[in-house]
Amino acid sequence: MHIVCCIKQVPDTTQVKIDPETNTLIRSGVESICNPYDVVAVEAAVKLVEKYSGKITVITMGPPQADSALRECLSIGATDAVLLSDRAFAGADTLATSHTLASAVKKLSETEPVDLIICGKQAIDGDTAQTGPGVATRLGYNQFTYVSEILKVDAAKNTITVRREIEGGCQVIEGSLPALLSVELELGAPRYATLPELVRSLRQEVKVWGAKELGVPAETLGLKGSPTSVKQIFAPAPRKGGAPFDAAANKEQAVQGFLDTIFKNDSAILAEVLKSENKG
Amino acid sequence: MPKNLKGKDIADIIPDKCIGCQICIGECPTKAIEMVGGVAKIDPELCIGCGKCVDVCPANCILFEKPRKKKAAVAQKPALAEYKGVAVFVETHDGRAADVSWELMGKARELAEKLGVQVLGFLPGVSTEAIAKEAIAYGCDVVYVMDNPLLKMYLPKVYGKALVQLCNEVKPEIVLIGATPLGRDVSSVVATIIETGLTADCTGLDIDKEQRLLMMTRPTFGGNIMATILCRNHRPQMSTVRPMVMKMPKKDPARRGEIRMVEFEGYTDPLPSIIDFIPRASDVGEVDIARVPVLVVIGKGACNSQYFPMLEGLAHLLGGTVACSRPVVQAGFLPYVRQVGQTGKTVAPKLYIGVAVSGAVQHLVGMQGSERIIAINTDRHAPMMQIADYPIIGDYAQVVPQLIEGIKARVPTLKAGSAKL
Repeated sequence: MHIVCCIKQVPDTTQVKIDPETNTLIRSGVESICNPYDVVAVEAAVKLVEKYSGKITVITMGPPQADSALRECLSIGATDAVLLSDRAFAGADTLATSHTLASAVKKLSETEPVDLIICGKQAIDGDTAQTGPGVATRLGYNQFTYVSEILKVDAAKNTITVRREIEGGCQVIEGSLPALLSVELELGAPRYATLPELVRSLRQEVKVWGAKELGVPAETLGLKGSPTSVKQIFAPAPRKGGAPFDAAANKEQAVQGFLDTIFKNDSAILAEVLKSENKG
Repeated sequence: MPKNLKGKDIADIIPDKCIGCQICIGECPTKAIEMVGGVAKIDPELCIGCGKCVDVCPANCILFEKPRKKKAAVAQKPALAEYKGVAVFVETHDGRAADVSWELMGKARELAEKLGVQVLGFLPGVSTEAIAKEAIAYGCDVVYVMDNPLLKMYLPKVYGKALVQLCNEVKPEIVLIGATPLGRDVSSVVATIIETGLTADCTGLDIDKEQRLLMMTRPTFGGNIMATILCRNHRPQMSTVRPMVMKMPKKDPARRGEIRMVEFEGYTDPLPSIIDFIPRASDVGEVDIARVPVLVVIGKGACNSQYFPMLEGLAHLLGGTVACSRPVVQAGFLPYVRQVGQTGKTVAPKLYIGVAVSGAVQHLVGMQGSERIIAINTDRHAPMMQIADYPIIGDYAQVVPQLIEGIKARVPTLKAGSAKL
């Protein structure tokens, strides 16, 4: 079985902040990490290969520095890695990104047909969850998003059975391969890299493909191939907190003071909340 | 104004303002811009001073003052003008519409009035007559109903094809879709087939009247930055919006509208088969915390089973339920479905009561839309205490019993309600 994992290197978004004084980004000390959902995707692929044998090719679109994210995936069990890096890819929205990734999967399939693509359900910097379904749609694969468990791969019938977390419950669904899965964190924490694997991941060659290697016209890629554009960015309006009630000093007084204030200032909200309770 | 060795006026990037979007890199005709340490950097010797990067930079971080000819306003392509109306995908489950669809109907009404066009409903499914009427009551002018047995259960390829067909036949300029698991799944399929722009999880939608463009504002970088996004040259302009972000409009059963039937082209390729559906029971472990008006949210500091019944009691007293932050799930104290935050659920309850929740950024992005925030914490400097409308400094084990007594004393009718605990 040939599994492709699409991953993304992302800034550790919890560290990105806007300086409220100057309205500029504070990025000192912001690390780049491999998107946590994608690491889970690679782990899922490794488990499948352990069970059904095969190989895992991990691909990412990004600047040359994204090489380190690919090597992280190699260290936890991916077989091969391809970095899709080209100026023509820069400034891509999800439509252009799915085009680049799908083109890479097609190219990989020429030598070794791809059976399954696994990716994280979303990246933590953009949170769109659009790229996975975009790739599946372009390739005509079955797509299974929000997968929380891979139940079975039937090699004879060429099908996969998964559990998906959806509105109101979970769904068990079976479909033919090739397919694309986007996975939830619940699928399982990644393993730690062993020392030999770590050494292998650092020594192994990572292929770099650009627009030319993919054989795709530049106007369909990156900024030029992106229907959406960012008009402006701004810091979210900060939520301003209220005055504290100090229960450490006098708990009765503080709690009474709090209740007096909230029942006075937010009587409408409380009335609504308490009304819905009485109904139930 | 910096010059390079050739004496050309060149552009310069302010690294502090750069958001690393790489848009300028794609635009630069001489490949003069590179990413260095997460920010764009211009090679002065390659820069020809064309100013293209300045035009596209969303963060206004490129310094360049050379007087440039203003770009002539790009006239809207005639093909784009054919697209009219604001459409809402009406999502259904077991013969019931998702609330978010009606929330979007209210927003669509507002956008359509600014554009002077109609609100359209896209309703694929089976036996959808009652829902079509409901769509009109919530503000829809024309409901396009596609009734076909193939649309009984959601499958991305089939629903994707149905919506693509509706978009191609009806040609709406805007399509709004709820950012539910189903909505996020199908919206990307549709946008990819049509090759148009799709912006996920918008928190603000407005119209640029001059250009007739939808301005889609969404949080990015884990909620630390807001971005306004446009889809200039492709139609429809597509956007998804999470539940409970837009206000539910008033239902007016007397409202008049039109229902038009559209024949589904059908789908013949082999499809996946749904083997089973296991509904989440609404017991303690499994409730949708995004839909509850009051949440008592347990933080790492309140991970104590001794006090859990007390916290649950507070939640039930106010008609709510318990949720938690990520460390509480990691500790195995509560299940994942209860988690609020970036890797859990985004919630916006009427009342958020944080009990010993410190307020890491990942948590705050998942709850900052709450109407009122109450925080109980011994640490007055915790981030949550800074944004809470009502910060209470103190030990929750002491404060919460006081709180329960105080609420019961003020609202005597609640005593009966709490007896069921």
